[in-house]
Amino acid sequence: MTGPLSMLVPAAREGDQHAWDTIVDRFAPLVDAIIRGHRLSEADGDDVSQTVWLRLVEHLGDLREPDALPGWIRTTTRHECLRLLAARGRVRPVDPQDDAGLDAVAEDTTDTGLLDAERAQLLREALAELPEARRALLLLLLADPPVAYDEISRLLGMPIGSIGPTRARALDQLRRTRALRGLGPDLVGRRG
Amino acid sequence: MSEPDALGDDQLLELLGRALAEDAAVPERRRAAARAALGWRSVDAELAALLHDSALEAGAAVRSSGAGAGPRTLSFEDDGTTLELEHDGAGGELLGEVVGVPGAVVRVERADAEPVAVRADASGFFRIEGVGTGPVRVVVERDGRALTTPWVTL
Repeated sequence: MTGPLSMLVPAAREGDQHAWDTIVDRFAPLVDAIIRGHRLSEADGDDVSQTVWLRLVEHLGDLREPDALPGWIRTTTRHECLRLLAARGRVRPVDPQDDAGLDAVAEDTTDTGLLDAERAQLLREALAELPEARRALLLLLLADPPVAYDEISRLLGMPIGSIGPTRARALDQLRRTRALRGLGPDLVGRRG
Repeated sequence: MSEPDALGDDQLLELLGRALAEDAAVPERRRAAARAALGWRSVDAELAALLHDSALEAGAAVRSSGAGAGPRTLSFEDDGTTLELEHDGAGGELLGEVVGVPGAVVRVERADAEPVAVRADASGFFRIEGVGTGPVRVVVERDGRALTTPWVTL
């Protein structure tokens, strides 16, 4: 989950497999979450996912602004989900009475899920921005099954009494990352 | 000073947990397929434009509300050549026409299977069996030039 898109995208365009794999690992959960939100069958979900990545390979050459990549992936995945649902005859792609078209319908039906998917994407990117020690603490606090504080203390070489305050500082730092900076307190909480 | 909707630390940590769970939930086969997609990179390939897709048109809803969906129809255009496709879904039959180009070689490519090539007849028509659902693209060779469609999920 490292490397700015401004480096990864041109490298992938030149055929750098490692750069491409990094892009895939970073955005596969977003593609997957949007697909899940459209309730496709497992097989159709696999097909849409693969179409999105194949289309991105086609598109790498004319993606002038690497930072536009997350938006491109989001829009393309949503569009391909709706297109496949229509091809399978499962939904109305558009209301014939309404000439606003596919995009308007997409906004209606998937808005809420999409916001969650986008925020989740930003949270993963924010975590990647944190210094290693803080990221490690948050990951241990989220471990399933839970890891006891004295075990966390031993693993990180941190007094038990520091875990609580460090957790608060790590979360505040998370809110201040480049990824989350633009989001309001209703989405990520107030910055301390 | 009241911001009752502001997210607390516990809630933020929980959301982070869910975001990481989404990462863990991506099936390994999807990741592997996505990584392999780079193998389809072709430098500076001009893609044919999509002129029509029955899955995108307004009438699709009306047609499919009756006795199941009709065949999927698509058409593409590149440099004056038009490619018409009709796919019957589960049956796997792909009919097509390279309009006005007799004898063109038509190749169906898919990420997970060997390509299948046929030659269009003297009227530009062709038929390919066994084209299952999934991402495909079609390449038409004519006069030393290739028409390549964007990837599309059948």
